[in-house]
Amino acid sequence: MNDTTPKANLGKQTPPESDERLMQACSQGSAEAFSELFARYKQPLFGFFRRRVADPAQAEELTQETFLAVLRGAPHYEPRALFRTYLYAIGFKILRGYCRKVALRAAFWGERTGSLEPAGHDGTDASMLLREAVGKLERTDREILLLREFEELTYAEISELLHLPLNTVRSRLFRARLALRKLLEEPAPVIGLGKLAEFEG
Amino acid sequence: MDTRTHPMTQEEVMALFDHELPAERKEFVSSHLDQCPECDALTSQFGAVSAALSRWGVEPLPGELTKRIMESAAKTRSGVKVRAPSIFIRAGLWGGKRWALGGGIAIATLLFLVAISVPSWHRSQDSTSKARMIAQHRISVDDAAVREGVIGGASKQSEPLSTPSRVVDSNGLLHGLGDHAQNTISVDGPLATEEPSEFTSGPMIARTASLSIVVKDFVVARATLDAILVRHHAYAAELTVNTAEGSARTLQASLRVPASELQSALSELKSLGRVENETQSGEEVTQQHADLVARLKNSRETEQRLQAILQERTGKITDVLQVEQEIARVRGEIEQMEAEQKGLEHRVSYVTVSLNLADVFQAQLTTPSPSIGTRFHNGFVAGVHNASEAVLGIALFFMEYGPTVLVLLLILGFPGLFLLRRYRRSLTTA
Repeated sequence: MNDTTPKANLGKQTPPESDERLMQACSQGSAEAFSELFARYKQPLFGFFRRRVADPAQAEELTQETFLAVLRGAPHYEPRALFRTYLYAIGFKILRGYCRKVALRAAFWGERTGSLEPAGHDGTDASMLLREAVGKLERTDREILLLREFEELTYAEISELLHLPLNTVRSRLFRARLALRKLLEEPAPVIGLGKLAEFEG
Repeated sequence: MDTRTHPMTQEEVMALFDHELPAERKEFVSSHLDQCPECDALTSQFGAVSAALSRWGVEPLPGELTKRIMESAAKTRSGVKVRAPSIFIRAGLWGGKRWALGGGIAIATLLFLVAISVPSWHRSQDSTSKARMIAQHRISVDDAAVREGVIGGASKQSEPLSTPSRVVDSNGLLHGLGDHAQNTISVDGPLATEEPSEFTSGPMIARTASLSIVVKDFVVARATLDAILVRHHAYAAELTVNTAEGSARTLQASLRVPASELQSALSELKSLGRVENETQSGEEVTQQHADLVARLKNSRETEQRLQAILQERTGKITDVLQVEQEIARVRGEIEQMEAEQKGLEHRVSYVTVSLNLADVFQAQLTTPSPSIGTRFHNGFVAGVHNASEAVLGIALFFMEYGPTVLVLLLILGFPGLFLLRRYRRSLTTA
């Protein structure tokens, strides 16, 4: 696994300031604070887009746009929530806009530019079949699962981000996990138990 | 899971796995997991799924992009506008609900405008048609009055009036006697019938004058004007009186005054009140008149020669017919030129004076105003009328444009539906 979570970074480097303090410093014009935030979240945010957008170049552009949006909105930042939630909320809005644009283009021109099937780093069969299985999940369930597993957002943060009740998030996450488990257990051509055993080590 | 054997929900087991369970439940669920292999297996499944997902790696962010973002950030901080990426998407892009709300507001506004404009349009159409009907009626009524010679100052003239003409404006309103607020007379004055001998020498000037006068007593001024017209053998070619309530009374008239009596007539007109504006102008028509006379003379001679040919020569019947046709054509030209000549000479002998009279408006303190009850009643009646007109207008609008809209919907609906379905399908797969 190449992407590193903020928590992992925190464990390694013990950052001097919290994300929220850094963002406040950034809102006052501190370039160092933005650099630190960027260093902490560049890979998680890129992973966020990369798992949802097929074209790596577009994922890069979306990552760039999200950081610039954070910078542009910094003067108006108020630490009412965790910076992480704030960042992913911006990324989520940008991603939604992108998806609408792609869908509109596909509706008119039948293009599948930037197919929304998520791509991965390794091209192994197991990895591809895993992505296929995730792609079969219901859209909101899939999003909740990804936010929980990869972005490591809490139930409350996911609830705030997706504008869903907390209990709905919990039940949908539960449903998504069981559905994915079932999909992974399905016999060939989808990944079988043997593959699952491979994942489980 | 049976709640009798598992005193918590499966979601609580998952919450424990995710470290999301409240502290007071955490210990209880943990102790249950130690004793319950089924719940423990469920936790293992969650772990397996997480482990499977953890293999979904993502390549590292390219170093070039990191550099680019930091450069863009530096530019943004320094106030430089950074060029948007090629796939730039606005974060604040309107969602479906906002589009629906905006569309709804736009449609409601359109309906409101239609509801307001259609009744007033119908009212204007109604009033126009009514005015036309009234005008037609008044023409027949006033014909008798004109024949009896009782039209304003013109009737008091010593000269006989030619057939007066009433003017119906673009709104179908009649400008003539009998209208309460607006009285108009349009009279064609007597054409000069004298021989043009008086015009053969000296310059011929077609003069016009214009006077704007404010009078203190409008009624007296109106009577004096009539007297002036009679005294100077003048007449009113057109006369309009406005006596609208709540504003000054006005009189607009186009007078024809003999050229020889212009100065004295103007002096007397000026004495009606305070002169606000006076203009005089003249157009020399000597050359025009001389040309006309010469052409008329030539045409008459041509006619005489043709008559002589017709009487003295013999020939084929076709030749005779041709000569007769030529005579008829020349005769027509002669009559046309004679009319032009008379009109020209009339313009010279009668000066056109545009007169505007207005009285000094004095607001009435004792203007009777309707009672509050009456005003409420009138307001209610007007409101009901407007509402019914609005409903009727909307119904008429849909009756008028409904079929067209239906056809357009049929033509555009299917492609639109197809695109919408494709859009939703694409969005769902996103």
